Amino acid sequence: MKLPINWLKDYIDPKLSMEGLIDRLTMAGLEVETVEGAGKDTVLELEITPNRPDLLSILGLAREVGAITGKAVKFPKIKSQKLKRLKGLIQVENKKDCRRYIGTLIKNVKIAGASEGMKDRLAAAGTNAINNAVDITNFVLMEMGQPLHAFDYDKLAGGKIVVRRARPGESLVTLDGVERKLDPSILIIADVEKPVAIAGIMGGRETEITPATQNILLESAHFDMGLIRRACRSLGLRSESSYRFERNVDFDGVLAAANRATDLLLSSTGGHLAGREEISIKVAATAPRIKVRPGEIKALLGIEVTAPKVRTWLARLGFKAEFKAGMLTVTPPANRTDITQEVDVIEEIARMTGFDRLPSKMPVIKSANIVLDRRPRELKEKIRQAMAAAGVDEIITLSMISIKALAKTKIGQMPLIKVFNPLSQDQELMRPVLLPSFLQVALTNINRGQKDLRFFEIGKTYAPDGERDSLGILLTGRRRQDWRVSPKETVDIYDLKGVVEHVLHIGGVKAGYADINVPAFDPACGASIVIDGKPQGVLGRVDRDVLNNWDIKHQDIYFAALYLEPILSCPKGLVRYGPISEFPAIVRDVSLAVEKSIPYQKIEDICRKQGGEILKSVQFIEQYLGDKIQPGDKGLVFSCCYQSNTRTLREDEVTDVHERLVQALVSELRARRR
Amino acid sequence: MTWNFLEIEAQIKAEAQAIGTAQDLETFRLKYLGKKGLVTAVFASLGQAAPADKAAIGKGANDLKKLVDSLMTERAGWINSVKKIDERVDISLPGTAPALGHAHLLTQTLQEITSIFERMGFVSAETPEIETEFNNFTGLNIPIDHPSRDAFDTFYLDTEDPSSRGRRLLLRSHTSPGQVRIMKAHRPPLAVIVPGRVYRPDAVDASHSFMFHQVEGLLVDEKVSFCELKGLLTEFCRRFFGPKVIMRFRPHFFPFTEPSAEVDINAEILGIQRKKWLEILGCGMVNPRVFEAAGYPKGQYKGLAFGMGVERMAMLKYGINDIRLFYENDARFLSQF
Repeated sequence: MKLPINWLKDYIDPKLSMEGLIDRLTMAGLEVETVEGAGKDTVLELEITPNRPDLLSILGLAREVGAITGKAVKFPKIKSQKLKRLKGLIQVENKKDCRRYIGTLIKNVKIAGASEGMKDRLAAAGTNAINNAVDITNFVLMEMGQPLHAFDYDKLAGGKIVVRRARPGESLVTLDGVERKLDPSILIIADVEKPVAIAGIMGGRETEITPATQNILLESAHFDMGLIRRACRSLGLRSESSYRFERNVDFDGVLAAANRATDLLLSSTGGHLAGREEISIKVAATAPRIKVRPGEIKALLGIEVTAPKVRTWLARLGFKAEFKAGMLTVTPPANRTDITQEVDVIEEIARMTGFDRLPSKMPVIKSANIVLDRRPRELKEKIRQAMAAAGVDEIITLSMISIKALAKTKIGQMPLIKVFNPLSQDQELMRPVLLPSFLQVALTNINRGQKDLRFFEIGKTYAPDGERDSLGILLTGRRRQDWRVSPKETVDIYDLKGVVEHVLHIGGVKAGYADINVPAFDPACGASIVIDGKPQGVLGRVDRDVLNNWDIKHQDIYFAALYLEPILSCPKGLVRYGPISEFPAIVRDVSLAVEKSIPYQKIEDICRKQGGEILKSVQFIEQYLGDKIQPGDKGLVFSCCYQSNTRTLREDEVTDVHERLVQALVSELRARRR
Repeated sequence: MTWNFLEIEAQIKAEAQAIGTAQDLETFRLKYLGKKGLVTAVFASLGQAAPADKAAIGKGANDLKKLVDSLMTERAGWINSVKKIDERVDISLPGTAPALGHAHLLTQTLQEITSIFERMGFVSAETPEIETEFNNFTGLNIPIDHPSRDAFDTFYLDTEDPSSRGRRLLLRSHTSPGQVRIMKAHRPPLAVIVPGRVYRPDAVDASHSFMFHQVEGLLVDEKVSFCELKGLLTEFCRRFFGPKVIMRFRPHFFPFTEPSAEVDINAEILGIQRKKWLEILGCGMVNPRVFEAAGYPKGQYKGLAFGMGVERMAMLKYGINDIRLFYENDARFLSQF
């Protein structure tokens, strides 16, 4: 809302410096966003909150400045006119759409240019001068906040106004020369044949006031705020008028503005008043009476505001206030529709006192009634720390993706949540999985020359049964940047598995791995992560076709995803101290050749079964897949560590156990010693 | 026999200057102090010297020995230090511990905000992003016809709200529905913050994103006043922006609080010149209608509430001028913090 200071001074002199005025307005809730010069005038741009439509006019602002400063407001004098009541001029189809319509007919006008004074005023408020009649409607709009429209009466077919919804297929060329397609969701002003204006938004070109206009029909009306707002949105059209109608105009102001504009039009155009017709709903004259307990003022604001002060503030705001038996009863002015309950009145008292004058003290903070499980947050925190230690950077990606991104990632057949009103296809879907988001981030970085990437995100994935905390990890490029060793080694599946194991360890979760059957992953290099018999995640090398679809060339990408719920909810028992053995350990290395299809886990399981209680640990050392071994086999090297907590083991008893253990591997797995 | 002590002394000093290695040092020692060395010879000449010369020769010999000794010590020290310089490591070469990863700046900022409130005694609770119209609007005293309910200002989902037939579920447009959920589930006293993602259909540019993060705060008890709202948020700003921060509470409007305020801080504290004040958060006293919607007995409780944008706080504090940087995740951005 623009406030030209010279215009304001027509009604009130705040007797404040510019800086002082800006500060007082801002601290009363009318934030001054910019200050600009306009000719000889200075114009303040104010942010008016949506609860205060009464401030969308110069007079409204003058009233508020009066309340803030205590200075008197000079209201413009309106000459009273003898009015002839007309009939059959105005027809309103539905009074829910249009609660009040006042049509005033002024005949034999002379249309001319605007006066210089008027031009300056309108220019400062951001409106161009057009001609004396149109300028007056704009002037009164700015002055009083009630939008008006002037029609060239002779161009209205049938000499009549009909307020109705547009019919399918109707259209109108508006004042800006654009043809607007209309539909029944839009309220229009029509004559007996066709639309002549879009109600509350913009007039039509055909019936506008021109230098040839002789007779004017002046419209002052009250249209439904929601209707105007939706029409603005669907037409993509806004105006000074719609801005005010959207926020609701004052019902009484409709008449006051009609009178003010009529007065100005008669004296400026030399026309004569032919008469007026008003269509209106009946309004019960019941002003609200709001009870305010003085104790409540203190309870809410934390300080005592004396009764005389309260009286002064409320009087300045135009509120009627009666003190009776320790109780305050308040009636706000009709245009203050935002004041409906006790706190609203107390808020006005606080605003007038000045928020900066209210003292400040720390509250007593008690939250005894909420006992929340702290574990999920703590675990997420620990996962973040472990990721940082593993050199993995955290990313935060958008929760919405496109269906196309899902297809590119070969993810199909998932229950999906779609966004009903996305801004673009990029946001049409709540992501069911994290992988597309990660591939997008990898692509962005690779395209910018950053190819060694280690990323994780703790984010949500979405399905019709709800949203789930999920963890994604992506590794690609070189393993480590150490200038002392060859820089060529790239990450592989075991780097990724190591990071995943960190996470499982933090949660105290035991997981197994099973074959993977997800098209996004290379079936030879991946696994699903199984917790408590249920698949809860995946890890693996992203399928080459998927990477091609994403335009990621020349490098492999390793990705893991894990639902966090089974980890966050797993009650990790308190870790108890286990004694550290004082007795020496005996370590025996084993080198075997086994069929490639035998997983190492099987070997470790057999060792544990055979090793008994003296087998402390089994440590994997090396896998050999070269040509010094029979085709179809692999070489495995590992060591067994024997130790007791209570005595020194004898060499021969270790040899016995170890020999039995290796023999079991040979017979059960058809392993050969190497 | 007579000795030209001055000449010998000059010769010793000149030769000592040329000593560069341990070998040079040994040659030098042998030449003067060895069995056939010059200084040894001077001492030996004492035996044949005239009694009158003995004192002078004796003193001269001792002085020469002292000179040679001190020069040798000096040169030995020098040789040693040269050797050490040769073997010294270049400590300016990069260290090679595994690189550390970085928490995202938004996570760091969020943790900074939440930990300030947690240390004051607030509890942090997360509530769902997929919400009902009741929690996002109705329960917060946002009227049925309010513009923010339009599909232009809120993302709706293709899924029906199971608790309200014919109504769609939506993506919360602010973290305030967390207030409704917390109050429905718990009785005061309450001191809770609700951090998380929120969504609004804004076209993306340097200062808008259709997804961003907020932290909601709520304190409810039998006696809470506006003074305490001021006190709490003043303390927060001092801890977050530093003790010299200057704040102002400017009246504003939110349907779920009354009175409502926006908080500005002095731009100077962040080194920003182009403006005097920067808006950082919205706050107010909980509107009695919100308590009513939560089912609390009328008039029994008072509360304060506030909400802030995490992106905005991070952008102000760390001088970031484009919100898109947060979601683009360029490795060079991530590793700066």
